Formats: sequence, C-alpha cells, structure tokens
Amino acid sequence: MEQFIQQVATGLATGSIYALLALAVVLIYRSTEVVNFAQGEMAMLTTFIAWTFLTSMNYWLAFFLAVLVALFIGALLERVLLRPVEEGPVLNPIIVTLGLFTALNSVVLWRYGGDPKPFPKVPFFEGGPFSVGAVAISRANIGVFCAAVVIMVALYLFFTYTKVGLAMRATALNRGASRLVGIRVGQMLTLGWALSAAVGAVAGMLAAPIVALSTNMMFGLILFAFAAAVLGGLTSPLGAILGGLTLGVVQNLAATYNPTESSVDLAIAFLIIVVVLVIRPTGLLGKRAVRRV
Amino acid sequence: MVQSLLRPRVLGLALLGLVILGFPYFNTMFEFMSGWPFFGWWVDPFRIFQAGRFGVWIIILLGLNLLTGYSGQISLGHGAFVAVGAYVAAILMTQYDVHVILAVVAAGLFTGAVGFLVGAPALRLTGPYLAIATLAVVIALPQILKHDLVSDWTLASQGINFYEQGTPPRTPEMLEDMVNKDQWLYYCTIVPALIMTVLAWNITRSRLGRAFIAIRDTEIGAQQMGIDVALYKMTAFGVSSFYAGIGGALFVFSEAVLGPATFDIVISLTMLAVLVLGGMASVLGSIFAAAIMTMRIEIVDTLVKLIPFGEELRIDALRGAIYGGLLIVAIIMGPRGLAGGIRELAKVKPSAIIERVRSLRVAEVLRIGTQRLLQPFRRRDR
Repeated sequence: MEQFIQQVATGLATGSIYALLALAVVLIYRSTEVVNFAQGEMAMLTTFIAWTFLTSMNYWLAFFLAVLVALFIGALLERVLLRPVEEGPVLNPIIVTLGLFTALNSVVLWRYGGDPKPFPKVPFFEGGPFSVGAVAISRANIGVFCAAVVIMVALYLFFTYTKVGLAMRATALNRGASRLVGIRVGQMLTLGWALSAAVGAVAGMLAAPIVALSTNMMFGLILFAFAAAVLGGLTSPLGAILGGLTLGVVQNLAATYNPTESSVDLAIAFLIIVVVLVIRPTGLLGKRAVRRV
Repeated sequence: MVQSLLRPRVLGLALLGLVILGFPYFNTMFEFMSGWPFFGWWVDPFRIFQAGRFGVWIIILLGLNLLTGYSGQISLGHGAFVAVGAYVAAILMTQYDVHVILAVVAAGLFTGAVGFLVGAPALRLTGPYLAIATLAVVIALPQILKHDLVSDWTLASQGINFYEQGTPPRTPEMLEDMVNKDQWLYYCTIVPALIMTVLAWNITRSRLGRAFIAIRDTEIGAQQMGIDVALYKMTAFGVSSFYAGIGGALFVFSEAVLGPATFDIVISLTMLAVLVLGGMASVLGSIFAAAIMTMRIEIVDTLVKLIPFGEELRIDALRGAIYGGLLIVAIIMGPRGLAGGIRELAKVKPSAIIERVRSLRVAEVLRIGTQRLLQPFRRRDR
C-alpha cells in the first residue's frame, strides 16, 4: 500500500510536467487548430537561454527574463512561419512545426553542444525529500506540482476575468464572428502562441533539474504530453492537466506492477490513448465537433 | 501501325524502360564520365544500391500518398506498417524457410489486413486526433516488438540478423555471370516498384480512387453520393498498408539487421515530410518524394558545402537546421510540392514568357518579384 501511494505521488509529479507541456500544446491548438510538434523543442531552447542568463544573475530574474524571451519567440514563430501556411491544407502547418522541431534542435546543439548541463532547482524547493509517514517525495517534484497548479489558476483567471482572455476564447470559438465584433483575430493567434511558448518555457525550466538539461531532454516528455493533451481533449486546458496527471500516475504504476520483464510503459500509454479515443473521439473533456451540412 | 508506335509518348516510355532496365550497367558503360562535373556523380556502384532503395521508397510512399494524399487520413506512424511488413517477411524467410516471393506477398497481405483492421478505430478519429493516435502507434512499436510475447519471433532488441540466419535473394545460378549481387538487388526491388506504380496509377483513376478523393474533399458529400465512407476509409488503410508491407519486405533485402529501432519515429515523420515536398495526391509526387527520401542526406550535405565560411561556422552541426529550414521554406513557397510545381510549369507557354520579359523593365521585375515573395507573409485579417 505504501509503495502504491509512493508511486502515485511520484506519478503526480512527473504528470505535472506532462500536464504543463500538454497545456502549452492545448493553448496553441485551441487558438489556431495547429498541433505544435515543436513545442518540446521550443521549451528546450528557452531553458537553454535561461541557463545562459543564470551565469550572470540570480534565479528569479533569469526565470522571468526567460519567460519574456519565450513570449517573444512564440509570437515571432507564429507571425513569420505559421501565418503563411494557415489557410492552406491542414497538413502544411504540421509539416512546418516538424521542420521547426528539427531546426531548433540542431541550432541548440550547434550553439550549446551535446553535453548535459546542470540546471538549478527552484530556490524554494531545494533540500532533501519531504516525507509523510513512509512516503517520501522529493522537493523538486513538489515544486513542479505547485507550479502546475499556480499556472493553471493564473490561466483560468486570465481567460475568465480579463478582456484579452475573453477575446482569445471568442477567437477560438468562432473566428468570423470575433472579427465582426472588432477582435483583432491575428493578434489573438499570435498571443496564443506566445502564451503557449511561455508555459512551455516554465515546464522546461522545472523539468531541467530532474531530467538534466540537454538537447534531447524533451523527447521522452513531449510524447507523453501529446498523449495527455489528446487524452484530455485537445481543446480543453483542464483536460490537458487531468490527462497529464493520469498518464504520469499510470506510467509509474505500470512500471512498478509489471509482471513481465520487458518494459511496457509506452505501450500502456498508447493503449490508454487508443481506448479513450475509440470511446470518446475528442478526448475526455474535448468539445464534440458538430458538423453543419 | 508503325506510325502509332512512333508517337512521342510511346517512344518516351520505351526510353524510360530501357533506362530502368539498363541502369545497373550504366556505371561500367559510362565510366569515362566519372570525372565530369555535374555528370560524374551518378557513375558509382553505390548508386545501384541506392536505386534499389529508391524502388522501395516509391512503393512505401505511394502507399502513404494513397492514405494521406488521396484519402485525407493523416498518418504520422506509417513506419509502423512498414515495420510489420518487414518483420513478417524476415520471420517467414529466416525461421520458416518460405520462398522469397511468397514471403513478400504474404507480408503485403498480412500488413494490408492489419491496416484494414487498424482503420476501424481510426474511423472515429479526425485530423489531429488521428495524427497523434498514429504517432502513438509508432512510438509504442519498439516496446511491443521487444515484449516477451513476441520475442521468440522478433528476437527482441537483438533483431533479426540476415546474414547469419538467412539469405536475402541471391542471384539465380544461371545468371550469376551477368548479374552481380547489387544488380540483382536492384532488379528485385525496381520490378515490384514498377508494378506497384502502375497499380497505384490505376487505383487513383478508378472507382476506388475517386471514392478516396471524394471522402477527403467532403465526407458528407461523399456519403450523399452513396459512398460507404466507413468501408472506403478502412480500404484506404488496407491498401496503404499493403503497399507498406510490400515495401517493408523489400526493404529487408538491403538491410543486414532488422531491429525494433529500424523504423523509428524519425523515419515515419520524414516520410510524411518528403511526401509533402514531392507532392500530395500525385503518383509523380510520390516518385519525387522517393527520390528525396533516398538522397535526403546527400542533398543536405551538398547544400552544407555550398555555404560560404562553412567550416568556421561549424556548419555541419547545423545540418538539422538546414533540413528543417528547407522543409519550412518549401511549404511556404510551394504548398503543392514538386509535382504541383511541375504541373504549373507545364502550363506556362515559352512565347508568353519571352513577350512578358521583353515588355518589363528591371525595376518592375524586382518589384513584382519581391511582392510575390512577400505575399505569404501579408496579413490577412482585417
């Protein structure tokens, strides 16, 4: 039983990173209907930028500067690379983000080299593991979980109580009508990418102390993030969070209670996606697409 | 009769046939060209091997094009189907001593059946959901192949080693003097590639192909026309997987070891990317895509060498950036791929161009040129 609780707790922590990345994916998908395959690499790039800042300033300053840079990079990518292919066939934006994936990875490798770099933990959460009874949770993991909650609440407040948030939701819902009521739809799309890049950057900086900062740090994470986003429904931020946490827990439990010797965590994650999608084709919380003839 | 055989079309096809048939011997025939700039590059025994690989990619990419280009079902995990075909053929040949031809056909049919069945859950998924579900398949595949349940057949992460455990197709004894191993390999892949190309050409111009296109363009409309959407979508998956299975089986011939990582996620994504570059929903596009797929590393390497100050900038570490950048630029500038570009070019009349060029002044040409180039970046909202 203790082992079970321990695994669930660890799962929730890994799940929070998936959840944050999934949230970034959802933010872009909601506003532009593009699945951004370069999400992980964008997060990786900004984490490396944060690492550069860290050599000359304290943690929090570097953290916020990196988030600002991420906002800018996200906006720039949308304006320059995604805008031209927006109205073409659905496959074209996908190919652009795939190209971006390879390009960003290669640029970072070129600039920073292939060796993993140490990345500091969030100052609040340094020190040994935190224990409740027999269950021990590392402080870094608690930090990730808290950050996920904070960001989720902040985004919820932003989308519910601010005018810009409302305009973004309107754009996601109906572009034509939003344009008619005077919303600058183009700017909302750019903002969606910027926000998503920022959330991704936070996820990257939280994940870096755990998985070590390197050019392939995101490979193992982003796949589960996509799975989480699909599981929760690509249009639902809350779904992304729930999907991420679920996948994290399931992955940990599958690794612990696997009777065979071969690893099955990827296969199990895949099975969950397929089963959920077959039962609910738009994920757990995704809105059903209604077709009008 | 003679007159009708001398039409350009027939002559062109005959010439193409001769080139395809004689290609493995060209490098000895044209050896004197090997030092020539721009012409020397293809006089190399390695090209025969590459041409064989090209044949394999034609088959696989035709299949992917039938699924994604014609039927509009995005598959990011097509490599999984190719892997199934490769494994079936390899296992049949090395562990059950099945004849090569039978093994290839069996691999195609088995993979086709798998694809048809996979198509059933895919019926309910659209666009991005289908893309990610297929992505999940190809990511989970190595673990499935390594799992205890199947490891007796797949030999887990060790993979199936061809040169120890079995034999790829050998040149028949009576031909051994004339055809060496590489040349035989070439014929073994290019002949099926030709057959599959003609088949794909016919499929796209038949009831089946038109149904695929109709489903892609408007599913509801297709339904109204009496097309059984579910059946045809599953058929699209089935046909596409049949191609992937045959391609995978032939791929095995030129690969020493077949392991769980042979068809990884990168290969699957690259397949889709080159297909878009070659041209979606076009048989010719698949062939271009196969050429790009075969030469993708060389193309980027050549470009790397062309960049000035490359060595100081450590440009070779930027290969991925050049590849990704090319992909992005190609999509933004010509969204319909090489095949689409050629179709546009064919419409242009030379006389009209000469007339236009004569009547233009340099400044005007520059102005219009930059306008065209910047067009994709113009704001469209407002």
